[in-house]
Amino acid sequence: MKLPLESLKHEISSLREEETDSRYGKAPEERSIKERINYGFILLDKPAGIRSKTAAYIAKNIMATLGAKKMGYSGTLEH
Amino acid sequence: MPLAINNATKVLPALLFGGKEYVALMHLHSEVDEQLLRGTFNKFIGKIMQLPPVRSHVKRQYRQREIYYSDILEINGKDVLFKVGVESGTYIRKLIHDMGEDLKTGAHMTELRRTKVSTLSEKDNLATLQDLEDSVYFYEKENDDRLLNKYLGSIESAIDFLPKVFISDTAVDPVCHGSPLAVPGIVKLTGFDKDEMIGIMTLKGELIALGKSVLSADEIKTSNRGVAIKTDSVVMGIGTYPTYKKIN
Repeated sequence: MKLPLESLKHEISSLREEETDSRYGKAPEERSIKERINYGFILLDKPAGIRSKTAAYIAKNIMATLGAKKMGYSGTLEH
Repeated sequence: MPLAINNATKVLPALLFGGKEYVALMHLHSEVDEQLLRGTFNKFIGKIMQLPPVRSHVKRQYRQREIYYSDILEINGKDVLFKVGVESGTYIRKLIHDMGEDLKTGAHMTELRRTKVSTLSEKDNLATLQDLEDSVYFYEKENDDRLLNKYLGSIESAIDFLPKVFISDTAVDPVCHGSPLAVPGIVKLTGFDKDEMIGIMTLKGELIALGKSVLSADEIKTSNRGVAIKTDSVVMGIGTYPTYKKIN
């Protein structure tokens, strides 16, 4: 069974051809670890019995040496 | 549980869109005929009206939610294990309670586990806190980034399910400042309607911001001016791309 947005593929259509300047920005797959932290995303298997908030806080502390300053989480169990 | 780091935290609300899938355990207050039970489960598929529980974060009034599918996995006396795919904002405890009322026996929820959030599912690279510690340790102490690469995903992959526009380098900086995106800035796009949540991307595929479409994709294709997307939450830092001067 599938949820509505699951495995949804979006067809991309071009309006025109245009180059992008390689001096600025960086494709997601080329980012270094430090750069990836800023746009980072983790799927955490939260241990049972602790709050989501606590788990996110611990995760932030673990990743802090790599430059994580903010750690947001989404979704509580009962929704 | 999805975690987003630093700039990426701004897109978290978007991840709450889309459906959720749960496996839940329902406890009936007295045994019921299997046929009757299956009938009730089928009755609670499609659009239902639900009153949020007394203790909830939203205003307590009836609201419509959609149940996409609901399958009984196992029946064991008064316990019914089932898998259900629902619209965001559906209360499973309440769903079970309502099904219990419908069966006239009453029922409550004894266990709940979420198995999917829109496009993210538990099969993906799920990391425990220990996995995170290990990956940071190996990276810092042994310069080995394999584990970190496995668990540290990009925010772009998490918003895979959103429709997108890809915009010209010259349009990036204004969007970083929160300006709405005009039609001429768009180079490529996917299909979408008016009033949809859109990922505004660079030509390199980086996420700049999330926005709401003012025009549909088809309208954008046929017009050459005007505001196309209103910028909502900006992810990319100002100055990542330069400010280009107008040439004319």
